[in-house]
Amino acid sequence: MSKINLTLKVWRQKNGREKGGFETYTAKDIDTDMSFLEMLDVVNEQLTHEGKEPIAFDHDCREGVCGMCGAVINGQAHGPLKGTTLCQLHMRNFRNGETLVIEPWRSRGFPILKDLVVDRSAFDRIIAAGGYISVKTGQAPDAHAVPVRKEDSDTAFDAAACIGCGACVAACPNASAMLFTAAKVSHLSHLPQGQVEAPERVIKMVEQMDKERFGNCSNEYECEAACPKEISVEHIARMNSEYRQAKWKAKH
Amino acid sequence: MPELNAKIPSGPLKDKWTQHKAHIKLVNPANKHKYNIIVVGTGLAGGSAAATLAELGYNVQVFCFQDSPRRAHSIAAQGGINASKNYPNDGDSIYRLFYDTIKGGDFRSREANVYRLAEVSGNIIDQCVAQGVPFAREYAGYLDNRSFGGAQVSRTFYARGQTGQQLLLGAYSALMKEVNKGSVKMFPRTEMLELVVVDGVARGIVTRNLVTGDIETHAADAVVLATGGYANVFHLSTNAKGANVTAIWRAHKKGAFMANPCYTQIHPTCIPVHGDYQSKLTLMSESLRNDGRVWVPKKPQDKRNPRDIPEEERDYYLERKYPSFGNLVPRDLASRNAKEVCDEGRGVGPTGQAVYLDFADALKRSGKAVLAERYGNLFDMYEKITGSNPYDEPMMIYPAAHYTMGGLWVDYNLMSNLPGLFVIGEANFSDHGANRLGASALMQGLADGYFILPYTIGDYLAGVKAGKATTDIPEFKEAEKYAKEKINRLLTIRGKRTVDEFHRELGLLMWNQCGMARDEKGLKEALSRIFEIRNEFWQNVDVPGSGTDLNQSLERAGRVADFLEFAETMVYDALHRKESCGGHFREEFQTPEGEALRNDNHFCYVAAWEFNGVGKEPVLHKEPLDFEEVHLAQRNYK
Amino acid sequence: MGSLSTYFTSSVGRKQIVAVTGLLLILFVIGHLAGNLLIFLGPEAFNNYAKKLAGLRPGLYLVEVGLCFVFVVHFFVTGVLVYENYLARNTQYGVNAAKGQRSWATRLMPYTGTLLLVFVVYHLLDFTFIDKHGHRSILADGNSYGLYGVVVNAFADPGHSTFYIAAMMALGLHLSHGVESFIQTFGFNHPRYTPMIKTFSHIFALVISFAYSSIPVYILLNYPKVP
Repeated sequence: MSKINLTLKVWRQKNGREKGGFETYTAKDIDTDMSFLEMLDVVNEQLTHEGKEPIAFDHDCREGVCGMCGAVINGQAHGPLKGTTLCQLHMRNFRNGETLVIEPWRSRGFPILKDLVVDRSAFDRIIAAGGYISVKTGQAPDAHAVPVRKEDSDTAFDAAACIGCGACVAACPNASAMLFTAAKVSHLSHLPQGQVEAPERVIKMVEQMDKERFGNCSNEYECEAACPKEISVEHIARMNSEYRQAKWKAKH
Repeated sequence: MPELNAKIPSGPLKDKWTQHKAHIKLVNPANKHKYNIIVVGTGLAGGSAAATLAELGYNVQVFCFQDSPRRAHSIAAQGGINASKNYPNDGDSIYRLFYDTIKGGDFRSREANVYRLAEVSGNIIDQCVAQGVPFAREYAGYLDNRSFGGAQVSRTFYARGQTGQQLLLGAYSALMKEVNKGSVKMFPRTEMLELVVVDGVARGIVTRNLVTGDIETHAADAVVLATGGYANVFHLSTNAKGANVTAIWRAHKKGAFMANPCYTQIHPTCIPVHGDYQSKLTLMSESLRNDGRVWVPKKPQDKRNPRDIPEEERDYYLERKYPSFGNLVPRDLASRNAKEVCDEGRGVGPTGQAVYLDFADALKRSGKAVLAERYGNLFDMYEKITGSNPYDEPMMIYPAAHYTMGGLWVDYNLMSNLPGLFVIGEANFSDHGANRLGASALMQGLADGYFILPYTIGDYLAGVKAGKATTDIPEFKEAEKYAKEKINRLLTIRGKRTVDEFHRELGLLMWNQCGMARDEKGLKEALSRIFEIRNEFWQNVDVPGSGTDLNQSLERAGRVADFLEFAETMVYDALHRKESCGGHFREEFQTPEGEALRNDNHFCYVAAWEFNGVGKEPVLHKEPLDFEEVHLAQRNYK
Repeated sequence: MGSLSTYFTSSVGRKQIVAVTGLLLILFVIGHLAGNLLIFLGPEAFNNYAKKLAGLRPGLYLVEVGLCFVFVVHFFVTGVLVYENYLARNTQYGVNAAKGQRSWATRLMPYTGTLLLVFVVYHLLDFTFIDKHGHRSILADGNSYGLYGVVVNAFADPGHSTFYIAAMMALGLHLSHGVESFIQTFGFNHPRYTPMIKTFSHIFALVISFAYSSIPVYILLNYPKVP
């Protein structure tokens, strides 16, 4: 167990209306076994004792699955490690004396609420637009009524592993939400149960995504690199194809 | 002391639910939209209930403290969900699932509820598959099953190690479908602070908008709490940081009974605590015990590298004590034994609060490739967190608080003793008795939400005049005022200690005195310490910031304040239950071999506590447990 | 399902328009190159080709208008998308660092594209809207060599050539991302074939830019010996 000292430059912003800026703090005697969020906890305890307001940051499960946490560390969403959420990033990945610039996700689609906390309700609206199979409770046939190819089921799972953290948007040079949207489109359309509504779904979801004022995809694949669940951009290609076909084949 | 009436339908066990459904009152489809239902919490229970109620036509308002309903802590469940489908053709049935659950719960649950749970378990799988939940499949395209603790059949459906996530996303998508239709109004980043009770009937809630700080009131014809468990009373647990007791505790303070709060589940395989700063404990799936061997050195304080300790100086204590189940004994036994060896000074690691889970033999036997296929993702996760590679050195594990079987008391219709207040999922005192089996929490949450509450709530609403819900009555104003005053009080103390410091202190106390093993002396000590900590909290806590914007310290302060009150009730319950059962182990009550010793003559009941003022002993109400179908026996896993 | 018009205003739809127009422009680039390479066969072959092409009028006007339209759409729609992308990140990061393998070709797309626009305008003024038999067509021997002479005279100037070569390098970069990007945007991404297409995309871009550049390089090296 070793200890390191760090300089933190943290984005502080009182709320969505006021302007924000960087504040510098020192994090002393940070145990390298700590997670990044535990390091922030320690800094926050220290700030509280100094009579300052602690840094607001979203977090919940702290085991990489709820999708609540996330910040950009030195320009990288969720920090330097691949396939990792901020809560699973440990301080042994940083060097003694390092300066860390900590910023919120930055996108017009994710307005800042306070400090590192952003409003990701746009993602909920994209799902609400069509990210489901419209089956009501009680309508389902027996689970074995329709076999599903294992390969399709596995691919569907790969896409369904999305935790909705928003790192794809944060990392995209254009703040585009294509990977998030495509993951849901592709998850459902890979399953026979999801194919009935697939054309309507992709159209509605893409249109809602556009309404939320995210940027456009320019195939730079930074989303895939930042995704803590390493969801492939192949799902984006699939959505592009589904959208094109749905639009051109529609009868009216 | 009046006995509680659980309103269990009459008739043979296997017909009760069918008969009940056939005879309960219904709400006319044309009238359903006139009823307002509030659902608090969006985990498996709350999400599924809200979606289903909206599909039926009710007007539903849904609240969650997270930024999206998709983040509720059900999402973190790893292993799977049980259902008595009998797809593997290994002799499973509704009755077997029912019996295993009753036995696993150490005969402290309601037969009728558990049977109903087993009965609807199959429908859950059908529903989830139809929603697009990508369960694991075999090459033929059909669903795969695996076995889990406490059962001799393979009835667990799973989606890699993220079953909870996939089921929750299914419920969430159903919920968002209704949001889109306008039948559900969603209030994310909103925390319930008060339950409003009018003439003994639940009529609404008071909430705080966590972004603006606005205190708001919401009226309804029925209030459904699906706010999860209270394992964070221990501060360190496998629960999400935000998981709290606030909603059910504040309902309890308004008259809802708290049942069996001392039944808490400690999961045996978690990554041990490694420092004072630790914020949470990470669970490593129970499945690791299939191939890992649990051991500690025979000598106390043996600080040698594990690989330097020769075979004959190791104590594989589970294999020694339970030769037939070995490393696969139920959770409560595995946990308690780990504590025992650590208490003897034989624990390992820097804190001495850990035991080894060693894969060396399995590696020799099956090879690295096989282990990587079975546990690769878990090993990676372990290495990510601890920086140690389980292929090279044994894992270190220690038990951690994981799930709480206790909760608000509900009758067969899932309604609390307050008319109009329904409680589902982990928030109610549940169908798990004194101990929950693996892969049963997901089953119960979804059973309650999809297939039970949507029927039973109609029975209540049919007797309520629609459209009467209004916040324009003094009870709402009072509750709102009370909530505001409490927040102001917290913000004006400006003491010297942070909220987390109090939470840590309470958690450690509860863990030591009311955790894996309890005794009268320790519990009594805990009572006086809780009182002291709570008093200091209200004089010396420092909650920075204001109440009119996003203030996470304030949110935590409110929750910790409630834990500080709730903890007392939990200890009272543990103190009064002079027996050992499931997750409640009283050291005074054990067999000569050190196993839990139940006292069926005196304690075969649900203990439902009525609030009697902060710091005062709550009033005990009993619901006797009648076992018609199963024979009470001592659990034996030797 | 919404009308088809929403396809043309959606993010995905507009990207596919960029992709299709890009593909058409690639076809043009290949055809144009084939014609250009005739320069190596001498003035006669080259000028005959130019004459034949001119002989296709007025039908050729149609193609030219179409080409112009494709080019304008490609540039204009991209311009709007890039502007929207700029707006979508309303506040810039204090530190920018890629986590993936974002290539320079990808990063520079808007810049190489703009350079190509400038180039095309210049190129038209340089070689198309001119008197093909005027003073610029007269080579060292005092004879007019038509368009051939114009080209040789132009590329004999190192500054002129450098600009052309730079533009062709920009074209190469633009294509190396453009071709693979077309596959992704149209949704033909496939785990087995995509890596091959990526490699093809890079080789194709290299071949096109080098082949175009070979003309000014050849003239520079051989002037005033040509023809």
